[in-house]
Amino acid sequence: MRRAAAVLLAAALAGCASMDAAMRTATGYAQSQGLISESQAESLNKSETALRRGSQDISESEEYYIGRAVAAQILARYRPLDDRDLNDYLQEVLQTVAGASDRPAIYGGWHVQVLDTEEVNAMSAPGGFVFVTKGLLERVRSEDELACVLAHEVAHVSKKHGLKTIKAARLTQAFAILGREAAKSYAPEQVSRLTEAFGGAVDDVVDDLVVKGYSRSKEYEADRFAAEYARAAGYDPNALKSFLKRLESEPARGGLFKTHPSPAARLAELGRLEPPPGDVGSAARARRFAAAMRSL
Amino acid sequence: MRKTKAAVLLLLAAALGASAAVAATITVLVRETRIRRRPQFYAPAVATARLGEKFDAEGPENGWYKTARGYIHESAVTAKRVRVDSAGSVGGGASAEELTLAGKGFNAQVESAYAAGHPNADYRAVDAMARRTVSDAELLRFAREGGLAAGRGEDR
Repeated sequence: MRRAAAVLLAAALAGCASMDAAMRTATGYAQSQGLISESQAESLNKSETALRRGSQDISESEEYYIGRAVAAQILARYRPLDDRDLNDYLQEVLQTVAGASDRPAIYGGWHVQVLDTEEVNAMSAPGGFVFVTKGLLERVRSEDELACVLAHEVAHVSKKHGLKTIKAARLTQAFAILGREAAKSYAPEQVSRLTEAFGGAVDDVVDDLVVKGYSRSKEYEADRFAAEYARAAGYDPNALKSFLKRLESEPARGGLFKTHPSPAARLAELGRLEPPPGDVGSAARARRFAAAMRSL
Repeated sequence: MRKTKAAVLLLLAAALGASAAVAATITVLVRETRIRRRPQFYAPAVATARLGEKFDAEGPENGWYKTARGYIHESAVTAKRVRVDSAGSVGGGASAEELTLAGKGFNAQVESAYAAGHPNADYRAVDAMARRTVSDAELLRFAREGGLAAGRGEDR
């Protein structure tokens, strides 16, 4: 028994990344020596695969489907702007800052859509669906400012802020159904119960995105990471401050003003930001930004 | 003798663990991702890896796993052990990663049921949005022209 204990101890010391392989080696040996039963070995092997409990356990593909439904609800409330050149330009800037984020690869890729409304707002659904309103674009003065706005949305997705707004009870309900089911597809009654939990989760995210807004701490965190991602991509993170300063002088009315902390509070939280080295390509960025915004 | 055997086993398990920390089997968890020549997001792609593909890899180092074919970003993969049987089924207590590979959990079947009950949800507009993408070559041109990080250095 001491040998088995020694092997298991070694496995435990071997580090998290290798825990799985080491644990299986140890339990395999202990079982072959008759030191533990088959069921005990299985139990030990399964113990590191804990049952799913909360939003952190939502899978990549589940995040994608929740994000699609949230995006579908946003697009039910706001009309998409049918301007191919403008949307394509935003897509280039989005992929550039997402590529410099800590989540460049996402299940279905990163996508952006301009919304045809004068409301000043930007939103992102889980799974990499980013929205920017025409009203906000009319207040942006450079590609660097646009990159910072999009990087703020990338940060919300990257840090899974949307998923964290889903009430635990919805996930408990869904995970309980999933935890018992092993078949490839679901029976109608299971689909019905899963869809109910899914719809509740989507409502939770939409409610925070459109109505209540994320917590102040999540917004400040998104600003901090936006500055980091923008700088890593080669943009000046101070452009986030110049954009917020412009908003500060506007009368607050709905949209972003309702769902975010005040521009003054965000500016105070951001503090001093280091610009990227050099000033290469700014003339080309100014030209293409002006060209892309001409249609607004 | 017994002490020696236990010590050998102890060392063996520790050695297995130590080597596994740098050499792991990684599984792709996104629909597709590029395998790159260098550990940089805009380095030339040498191949495309798809959902469920497995690779022996070292790392991650600065966010990148090194495989025999090239580099894959850690956000595209899991290094956890994942088990999905040939019929695509996973057992009770499946991990999030296993559900993604099996296409289970909140999936297309659930989306269809949700869409049927929410006719206002504009999935057509979502599909149009999801088709919008920029190729690697176009993104590199965009970065070079704008003097951005991805367009600098040796990413050719």
